[in-house]
Amino acid sequence: MVINNISISYLILILVATLFAFSISFSLIRNKKAKFLQLVVLLALLALVSGWLFISNADAVLLNLFHIYRFSMLFTCLFSILFILILVLSYDSEADYFYTLLGIIATGAMIVPMAYSLITLFLAIEMASVATSFAIMTKNKIHLEAAMKMFILSAISVSIFSFAMVLVFPYNPQLALAGLASNSAISGNYLIELGIVLFIAALGFEAAAFPFNLWIPDVYQGARANLTAMISGINKKIGFVAMMMVLFLVFAQYTWFFSGIIAMLSIATMFFGNLVAMVQQNVKRMLAYSSISQAGYIMIGIAAASSLGLEASIFQIIAHAFMIIGAFAFVFWLESQYGMNTISDYDGLAQRNMFAGIGLSILMLSMIGIPPLLGFYGKFLLFSSALNARMAVLAFIGIINSFISVYYYGKLMIAMHRKTNKKHIMISRNIAIVTGICIFVIVGIGLYPEFFMHAASIAARALL
Amino acid sequence: MIAVAYALVQEIAKYSIAISLAVPAIALLLIAITKEKFSRIIGMASTGIALAVSLFLLAYLYAGHSSAINASIPFISSLNINFEMGINPISFALFMMSSIVLFATSLAGNVHRIRQKATQFLIVLFQLASAGLFLSLNLFIFFIFWDIGVIAMFFFINSLGSESRKSAAMKFLIYEILASSLLLFGILMIYFYTPVHSFNISTIIANSSLIPAGEQTAIFALLFIAFIINMPVFPFHLWLPDAHTEAPTQGSMLLSGILTKFGGFGVILLFEMLPISKTFGNYIAALAVISAFYSVLAMMKQDDIKRVIAYSTITEMAIVLFGISEFSSFGLYGGVYAMLSHGLLIAMLFLGAGSIEVIFNTRNIHILKGIVKNARLVAYSLLAGVFIMLGLPLSSAFIADLLIFIGAVSAFGIAGIAPLLALLLVGAFLYLIISKSFMSTGKYTRAVGSIRIEQRIAFCILLLFIFIFGAFPFIMLSIFKI
Repeated sequence: MVINNISISYLILILVATLFAFSISFSLIRNKKAKFLQLVVLLALLALVSGWLFISNADAVLLNLFHIYRFSMLFTCLFSILFILILVLSYDSEADYFYTLLGIIATGAMIVPMAYSLITLFLAIEMASVATSFAIMTKNKIHLEAAMKMFILSAISVSIFSFAMVLVFPYNPQLALAGLASNSAISGNYLIELGIVLFIAALGFEAAAFPFNLWIPDVYQGARANLTAMISGINKKIGFVAMMMVLFLVFAQYTWFFSGIIAMLSIATMFFGNLVAMVQQNVKRMLAYSSISQAGYIMIGIAAASSLGLEASIFQIIAHAFMIIGAFAFVFWLESQYGMNTISDYDGLAQRNMFAGIGLSILMLSMIGIPPLLGFYGKFLLFSSALNARMAVLAFIGIINSFISVYYYGKLMIAMHRKTNKKHIMISRNIAIVTGICIFVIVGIGLYPEFFMHAASIAARALL
Repeated sequence: MIAVAYALVQEIAKYSIAISLAVPAIALLLIAITKEKFSRIIGMASTGIALAVSLFLLAYLYAGHSSAINASIPFISSLNINFEMGINPISFALFMMSSIVLFATSLAGNVHRIRQKATQFLIVLFQLASAGLFLSLNLFIFFIFWDIGVIAMFFFINSLGSESRKSAAMKFLIYEILASSLLLFGILMIYFYTPVHSFNISTIIANSSLIPAGEQTAIFALLFIAFIINMPVFPFHLWLPDAHTEAPTQGSMLLSGILTKFGGFGVILLFEMLPISKTFGNYIAALAVISAFYSVLAMMKQDDIKRVIAYSTITEMAIVLFGISEFSSFGLYGGVYAMLSHGLLIAMLFLGAGSIEVIFNTRNIHILKGIVKNARLVAYSLLAGVFIMLGLPLSSAFIADLLIFIGAVSAFGIAGIAPLLALLLVGAFLYLIISKSFMSTGKYTRAVGSIRIEQRIAFCILLLFIFIFGAFPFIMLSIFKI
């Protein structure tokens, strides 16, 4: 057998299938450590193989269902790494069935960027989001409520998505993720325009764009913080990946139509997230609203609808995933071990644990967009792409929002650095590993961003 | 032998930029990983090397070598962003000032000798920011170092400041991030509206006349507001007195000494870059005059000595802005000289205020009486500082005022000397404080502490350089080539 990119591409499929099979079989295994190790090894293999395929410029369609190309491989690699972080974060704190559900979520998340038809995309998204709502669920009433909300909203998103598919069906009978037949590209084709709007709405639920974001704060607060990290770091990003794929693969000729809609949604999302976050006292709710506003930033790049815009969005997706997972890792530790919830609970954190004080400050600074941290380059690219597309107003509103966000991130930073006489606290090892990796990525890549920017721009050009 | 020495000098000059950035970067790592007792030595070594480099460059440039020391490495090649640094006369003057102030701060700024590790880490971080900012030839790099400096200063206030620092830290952060947001938007607009997409300052200067007038005005407004928030100029000055009240001594020295000069340097770059800014010259001068008089009046209401000095900063920076807005080489280099002089002076005044707090445990000018008895050096240094602020001949401030107001008279006629009155009022009010409270011989405030030898040395270093630049102005002026 010749070892070439095609055969390695099949390896990705085999690995994803193994992931799924393992996670189902986990219900028979009792040993938690074994499950943890198996998942980590599988995900690490996936990251390696997809990273290799990304570098070696693979381009193959497998079984007419999966498309292995640079865009999908970048996200497969990213999601594998993020899932490993989530696994390490939840080590020793979750019930038996958690590993099964996490495996299913991971399978869904891996398939989303690889999808070659709308049906695959649809199934993969639902696989991830339904399994997530089960993972949130425990006997605890608050968790149950959060799980219920997530479940209902993903059900709404399913129905809207399927209706949108029906509207597009006449022009795209294979439901392929490829451009519509050229005769459909006439302005005034309301069916297609309605289809676009419905796709944006359905995926807006996943990506938490305004006005489909009402579930976010409740679910984020209700879920355990390690799962919140996963929802905000991975599930939401799946929504964006799917949105980019649908808009730029299926509706590539309709840029003029969706660009304005996305721009308006983006402005509303940014303002909503930032203004509401300013009044929050609960750290998890504050971060939830902040991640809504970050979703708004990501949409600036989609609205710009150029290769620079997509590059910016992809870069910001990567950056925000690491920032928010790091932040929620700290929150998870402080909440689960010390019951700290509100901003006033965080008073003097820097004095009680220096690593947490400095680390959380770096994460906050990166989310504000202070150079030379990763978050800055994301915002820099996003605003650049808006200006490049001659959308100066959008860029200016983005900058104003980035300024507004300084208030609540600053509030947390100032609280953390107050003097206190509360006793010293110890950080657990798995939290330290996860946050350490996130901070290393944020600072290290921030010092030399060319590497990630190049990767993002390659992926963006592969999609366009 | 001479040839070898000459070659060595050339080599050092070539690597001076790399040294002034690499040394603080290495020192940051060393401070982070070593024990607290080594922090001060590492910090002093780092700032000391920068001081040595800047003194070397002073001699090198004065000896008539070309000032074209440049370095460029690719940073983000896909967007045509290079890490471009270079030394020109203006940036060198500010770099010189910042290295002296940083060395004095690292030596003596931490008057209580507490939390040395955090202090020295932030000082060295600030050193990195100021060296990078003053030497950058690229707006993107300028912006990165600008924000590093702002954040370092935020942590000076936020983690080393006094007990009631919460609102001052927030105010500082909000004003400064507003400034840097506007700055970012402005430089992005420059990048996308010049036909050659570039952040390189000399490329922008060559092509900026191609930007349409409307966009140029917008860019000018954005950048100008950003810079005058930082300077600070009325009506965006409100953060400065509060920040100074809560900041520790070392933070205050760097805040007024160096951070406010970021804005001044930025305004100089802005006026160079955008030809349209000439049309706003008179309005800017008027704003500067208003700011100068406003801050003098506000200053007279204060009773905290740090707030008094903080308001004098606003006056001085308004004079700097006034000088730059003349659009003549006298005004421009006068403004630069004023920033050089004021940076050294204000650092000394804040060190004096910090020392007074250590010795008498209060900063209220109505309580302090006759401090000359218990804190002789501090009192005389402050007295000298007041005279220097008034423009004492043989001090650097004199040269600065001379240049600015020669330029002002030729630019605005006889009305151009109006801001001098503000300067006189500042001096008069400060003298009133000194003579009423510090020099009074009737009552004495009881001393509860004492300053150490390092503060004495720092006073001497700062005063020495003020008088060197005042008595030998031709050193700098020949580098400026005026």
